[in-house]
Amino acid sequence: MDLQTEVVIIGGGATGTGIARDLALRGIPSLLVEKGDFTSGASGRNQGLLHSGGRYAVNDPDAARECITENRILRRIAPHCIEPTDGLFVSLPEDGPEYRADFIRACGAAGIDTLPLSPREALSMEPRLNPRIIGAVQVPDGAIDPFTLVVENARDAESRGARMLIHTEVTDLIRDGLRIAGVRVRDRITAEAFAIAATWVINATGAWANHILRMAGLQIGLALSKGSMLITNTRLSERVLNRCHPPSSGDIIVPNDTVSILGTTSLRAEDPEHYEVTPEEVTFLVDELSRMIPDLKGERFTRAYAGVRPLLQLEETGDDRSISRGFALIDHGSCSGPAGLVTITGGKLMTYRLMAEKTVDFICERMGLHVPCSTHVQRLPGAGQGHTLKDRLLRLRRQTPSAKGEILCDCELVPREAVDAILREGKVRELQDILHRTRLAKGTCQGGFCVYRLLGLLNERHKADHRGGSNLILKAFLEERWKGIRPVLWGTSLKEEELIESIYKGLFNLTPAEPGRPGGGEA
Amino acid sequence: MTKEEKPGPLTKLPDVCVRCATCMTACPVSRVTPRFPGPKQAGPGAQRFRSAAEASVDDWIELCTGCRLCDTVCPAGVPISEMNMMAKAKYLDERGRTFRDWLLVRSDLFGEMAARYSKIVNPLMKKKAVRWLLDALLRIDRRRALPAYEYPTFRRWFRTRQAPEGGGPEVAYFYGCFTNTNETDVGKAAVEIMEAHGLTVVVPPQRCCGIPRLGVGDLHGAREMGRRNVDSLLKTVRGLDIVFSSTSCGLMLRHEYGPLLHLPGAEELALRLFDICEYLLRLREEGKPAATFQPIPMKAAYFAPCHLRSLDIGLPALELLRLVPGLDVSMIEAECCGLGGLYGFKKEKFAIAEEIGKDLAEAVARMKPDIILTDCEGCRMQIRHLTGLRVLHPVQLLRDALERRGTA
Repeated sequence: MDLQTEVVIIGGGATGTGIARDLALRGIPSLLVEKGDFTSGASGRNQGLLHSGGRYAVNDPDAARECITENRILRRIAPHCIEPTDGLFVSLPEDGPEYRADFIRACGAAGIDTLPLSPREALSMEPRLNPRIIGAVQVPDGAIDPFTLVVENARDAESRGARMLIHTEVTDLIRDGLRIAGVRVRDRITAEAFAIAATWVINATGAWANHILRMAGLQIGLALSKGSMLITNTRLSERVLNRCHPPSSGDIIVPNDTVSILGTTSLRAEDPEHYEVTPEEVTFLVDELSRMIPDLKGERFTRAYAGVRPLLQLEETGDDRSISRGFALIDHGSCSGPAGLVTITGGKLMTYRLMAEKTVDFICERMGLHVPCSTHVQRLPGAGQGHTLKDRLLRLRRQTPSAKGEILCDCELVPREAVDAILREGKVRELQDILHRTRLAKGTCQGGFCVYRLLGLLNERHKADHRGGSNLILKAFLEERWKGIRPVLWGTSLKEEELIESIYKGLFNLTPAEPGRPGGGEA
Repeated sequence: MTKEEKPGPLTKLPDVCVRCATCMTACPVSRVTPRFPGPKQAGPGAQRFRSAAEASVDDWIELCTGCRLCDTVCPAGVPISEMNMMAKAKYLDERGRTFRDWLLVRSDLFGEMAARYSKIVNPLMKKKAVRWLLDALLRIDRRRALPAYEYPTFRRWFRTRQAPEGGGPEVAYFYGCFTNTNETDVGKAAVEIMEAHGLTVVVPPQRCCGIPRLGVGDLHGAREMGRRNVDSLLKTVRGLDIVFSSTSCGLMLRHEYGPLLHLPGAEELALRLFDICEYLLRLREEGKPAATFQPIPMKAAYFAPCHLRSLDIGLPALELLRLVPGLDVSMIEAECCGLGGLYGFKKEKFAIAEEIGKDLAEAVARMKPDIILTDCEGCRMQIRHLTGLRVLHPVQLLRDALERRGTA
């Protein structure tokens, strides 16, 4: 099975799917390959913050302007992926009033609306804040659901003719003289290998950019930075809470649906695939952020996770197409590499649409096409469908036993019909794919009590037949889950984990594949 | 909001739940209707979706009867019913309460009057036309018998009676509204059994404990009732123990005034509050003068009310009843009678109360007892309604065993 298309996109993150959608809207055929599922990389492993740009206003005014522009665009095109919470930049006594004044001035220069608040006002809005704060500034931050955002970009692109192959890994680049003429790929589930011929290959693999470039004997200056985050069981604040001081580690709390995400650290990483959240990072985040929310230490945490950011070291790229300090678009043909290969990397979730726009502008220019970008005005397909916490809570009302309204995931109130709809669509191939598309297993028990229900459903649908059936799928899930909960396992979570372990070991008689901890050997 | 009225840190509560779902198996309401999602889901589960700043949407919270069985089975110590109470209060504060609910929780105010004119009121309450009107206008279900009023009230009886030669240690008695105006014999029996144990009974000034207000989520009203009771009862407990014969009044005084309503002085009061059977049993265990019981050859079934389980004192009534020679007493193996106080009188909830009670009715049918004994007036009403049998407070039978009057 060999395929042919105009543009091959490698990487199913926000950037890759954003490019696929932009190409599709401009009528250019494309095919996207992703070795895991959508959002497997940094797109699915960030804080879910809709930046106002405030965080960059003082140090990097260009990035700040970029953020606030994209912030307004995303609110328009993807309102269902965004909770417009607003954010506070909170000054503690040690942060001083000087930075706050600079901050307000810089935000003004970047076009970011600010509303200075007295300590009293800020505390009445966010009662759990440290009562010692000396002031706060409100900015248009928000929370964004990157999973829905990426999946809907992909869905919209597909409906306009783009093709998507997930769980499909690029094994080599096809050379045709001085050109790259396509990619060789392998299906990671069926092991089937095939070639995809294309005029253009876009490397949108983020932290994996050099993995792909190495196949062409190329390399760009890319540093990998691990950022670790913690998730609380309940939502700590209504708004995003930032420390009003120069950007540093452990200075932000982002409300996300039912939970809050505490972030982040920044540590050099060698490998974008193998890393873990260390106990030092957990202690650091809890200590540092309890300056903003003093009773944070008594909070229950449900999960720790990390993502790897690709940070550009531009002096080595020698590329003049760098659009901002945030991201770079590199046409390897114009800097002594093979033609037909383009790398887009760096940047952040906030600028994914802009990165896609610039990439597709470039492709169009080279193809001699004059079609303007429309991703900043075309709304994503699901726009208009609300899913507020209240709406979700009301699902409990419709719940009747064995009927359609049956809830699979008690913690996050995910109904069976939501999973059924995803299965009917036929795009998912693995358990994690389902988890990326719903909030199943993202709540208090982290799937401990609901994944076996999901497996029952999969068995009914004969989705669990391949690769050894439900047992292997369950073990793989439990191992992945264990990685996330182990760093924050104390207090009530630990008690609950003992209960969950006894269910899997004692009732289900699940045995570990190898010596180690049952219910999830260390990966 | 003054400091004493500040609610507990409810935001923390969902964190304590280990999601074992034991409470889901104990909840009588979710057992019979899918409209109530059960304690775990309605409490710690839903709490993660609630925002203090936004209006409540979880209308099912009204279906919680407040039986507190969830609390008693929770291995993690989550105050689930308290969480549900706060949610119910917020929901009903926003939506407003019906005139029926306003009226029913004030039965203490018209009770004295109704008792005085019981000869007119009682037949009236049995009239089909009146019941139809109450059903249609106030949605008080006409299939539920309304409790008859009695005169003289317990309070009047106590004040005007010829007190026996005392001299024994004094104890204060909290009789509760229902005993005062609807089941005066429970109060009389309580007084007599305590006197038979060498005690001198005093009745301190008191008023409705306020638990009916909790049923409609009226925390403010309940707090007002509680504050007045605490003020007068504190004077009493600074010298005397107080016993109660109504389980729900007792639960309210002992467990809700403090942890839920944060009334100042509630903890001091709680330390000297006792269930009547708990108190008598303790006297006997301490070797204090105790009454002896005459044989009552009878087959009795004892039902432990939900609120008694919440008091966490074991089953003192059952232990006392087993001291009565000839009395063959066994437990009714059922979780909840289903009435939930005023809950079962409400038209929209009548069917739920009936369905919950089926288990109990079936258990009783298998046991074929001559008499049923239970500490709670709500349970007594419901069991009479479900079985048609004679249902008494345990102290009534104990009193009869004293006097060799026989109960048959």
